[in-house]
Amino acid sequence: MTLQNGDSGDYSGPLLEVEHLEVEFHTRAGIVKAVNDVSFTVDSRETLAVLGESGSGKSVTAQTIMGILDMPPAVITGGAVRFRGTDLLTLSEPQRRAIRGQGISIIFQDALSALNPVFSVGWQIAEMFRVHRGMSRKDARKRAIELMERVHIPAAAQRVDDFPHQFSGGMRQRIMIAMAIALDPDVLIADEPTTALDVTVQAQIMELLGEIQRDSGMGMILITHDLGVVADIADRTTVMYAGRVMEQAGVFETYQAPAHPYTKGLLDSIPRLDQKGGVLHTITGTPPDLLDTPSGCVFHPRCRFRKDDCLTQAPPLYEVGEGRTSACHYYPEVLDDAGR
Amino acid sequence: MGRYFLRRLLQAIPVLFGTTFLIYVLVWQLPGDPFVGRCGDRVCPEAFVNAMNEQFRLDEPLLIQYGHYIANLLQGDLGLTYNMTPVSDLVVQAAPITLRLALVALAFEVVIGVIAGVIAGLRRNSFFDNLVFVSTLLALSIPTFVLGRFLQWLLGVRWGIITPSVSGDATWGELIVPGIVIATTTTAILARLARTTIAENLRADYVRTAIAKGMPPRRVIGVHLLRNSLIPIVTLIGLDLGTLMVGAVVTEGIFNINGLGGLVYDHVLRLDSTVVVPVATLFVLIYIFANLIVDLIYGVLDPRIRYE
Repeated sequence: MTLQNGDSGDYSGPLLEVEHLEVEFHTRAGIVKAVNDVSFTVDSRETLAVLGESGSGKSVTAQTIMGILDMPPAVITGGAVRFRGTDLLTLSEPQRRAIRGQGISIIFQDALSALNPVFSVGWQIAEMFRVHRGMSRKDARKRAIELMERVHIPAAAQRVDDFPHQFSGGMRQRIMIAMAIALDPDVLIADEPTTALDVTVQAQIMELLGEIQRDSGMGMILITHDLGVVADIADRTTVMYAGRVMEQAGVFETYQAPAHPYTKGLLDSIPRLDQKGGVLHTITGTPPDLLDTPSGCVFHPRCRFRKDDCLTQAPPLYEVGEGRTSACHYYPEVLDDAGR
Repeated sequence: MGRYFLRRLLQAIPVLFGTTFLIYVLVWQLPGDPFVGRCGDRVCPEAFVNAMNEQFRLDEPLLIQYGHYIANLLQGDLGLTYNMTPVSDLVVQAAPITLRLALVALAFEVVIGVIAGVIAGLRRNSFFDNLVFVSTLLALSIPTFVLGRFLQWLLGVRWGIITPSVSGDATWGELIVPGIVIATTTTAILARLARTTIAENLRADYVRTAIAKGMPPRRVIGVHLLRNSLIPIVTLIGLDLGTLMVGAVVTEGIFNINGLGGLVYDHVLRLDSTVVVPVATLFVLIYIFANLIVDLIYGVLDPRIRYE
């Protein structure tokens, strides 16, 4: 298996390609369809934002790409995850392990619980070099300090032997990032990297991720429910709802003129400073119970563009424009609808 | 850490006084005449009884007796038995045997209990997990003395695999079965504790991180998971030293082992408190010390624990 940097050979397709992915959870209450026919691609130097609220399947998709899904209860029932053309879902566990951390790596939402509490941060970063590269303890430690400097941790050489609980939330997330980029992966998945942080720290972390991406040219999947975070850093967005893709577009188009009522609702519910005193717009209703999803279009119970056929006919992903899709029968109306 | 250690040592002093006093009072309050049957078939002559009473201060109030006992103890004098043998001699002879027995029991507990628990925790609801559940339930329901007598009869008398009574040398081989008898209860508790801890930590985020880092399963479990699961396990093993000693009294009695437990067992039967009290005091000391060591190991196992 040679799937490391520069070993792409004559492969020229997308770097990472998720195709018609289907993931179910078999629970006592029934089968939960967490991911339903999800497809997207990510290329080098590109950031794809996967947007959606809790339970929309975005984290499950990320875990499927990494191969860290708990199976059971999860079952991958269909689709492919192609990395440099190879379907990861068909590889053996040792082959996948070689890709984790080196080809694709991930940072999680809550760095405090994601880092091991009983090992020093330096040890945890150095572990990447020791296990994947067979480096000596001393060399690996040196590389760990370099990485801590790269993610702008002050006094890295002094703090390398400190433990996760001795760092602030933002610093801990930087350590997570240092660990994830240690082996120069081709794709970095950031699963809600700033959700657990203060607003000011959020901005610093996003800036750091952007900086690292510019330097290394890796592809990035940014999973978030925070629309504010997306605008600055993402190139394209995929909006998910109830395990399905609702809309895919460039980040500019998404913000300028959403082609799906759900995206529109999300954007409208961002509080705006220039509309002080008004009532904050919300999407009425609640996300569907994935054990019992609505018929037809899953979003129809909450949709203000709903017509009769939305209740019976699930919309396909309509081609809306250049590299733009929307899973709404009435996307032209949504596009034209300017007011709230 | 040094200050913490010192403070813990100082805290041990009142504990030691309290426990020795309780032991002293309770043991010497046992009913019965210690000099019955001490002179063969005859009733002991009054002169002998008076001399013994004087020698062991049995006529004096209990508090005064305790005072003398403590004063001697602090000088390292454990006193004499009714047979005029120094108790310290008996202890020196018996201690290595009990230590050996405790090591056999400890090894069994750690190896069997922890390994069974870890595997059961990793494979929850598997056949092995259920096997561990049933066998630990069985182990917990059988009292030590029943299991001891049963194994002695089955393996020693019926099948003749072991000698029913351990020789004076008490070799390692002879101590295996008694060691297992002592260890049974704790092995079962340890297995269940390890299972729960492992099963719980298996779902922890840092385990997922280790997998996402591309670490092989051996390392994810052996390093990341196990290290975090050790804290409750080490605690239980430390506390268990007490159980080992109590178990030793009964088990050493059953298998006729001349260790500290056997010493206590014999002399309780003979109403000779001169031996029971100092040995029980020694048990208390070992227990306090073991707990201190456990508390210090915490700091090594979990960096979040700080001693100020």
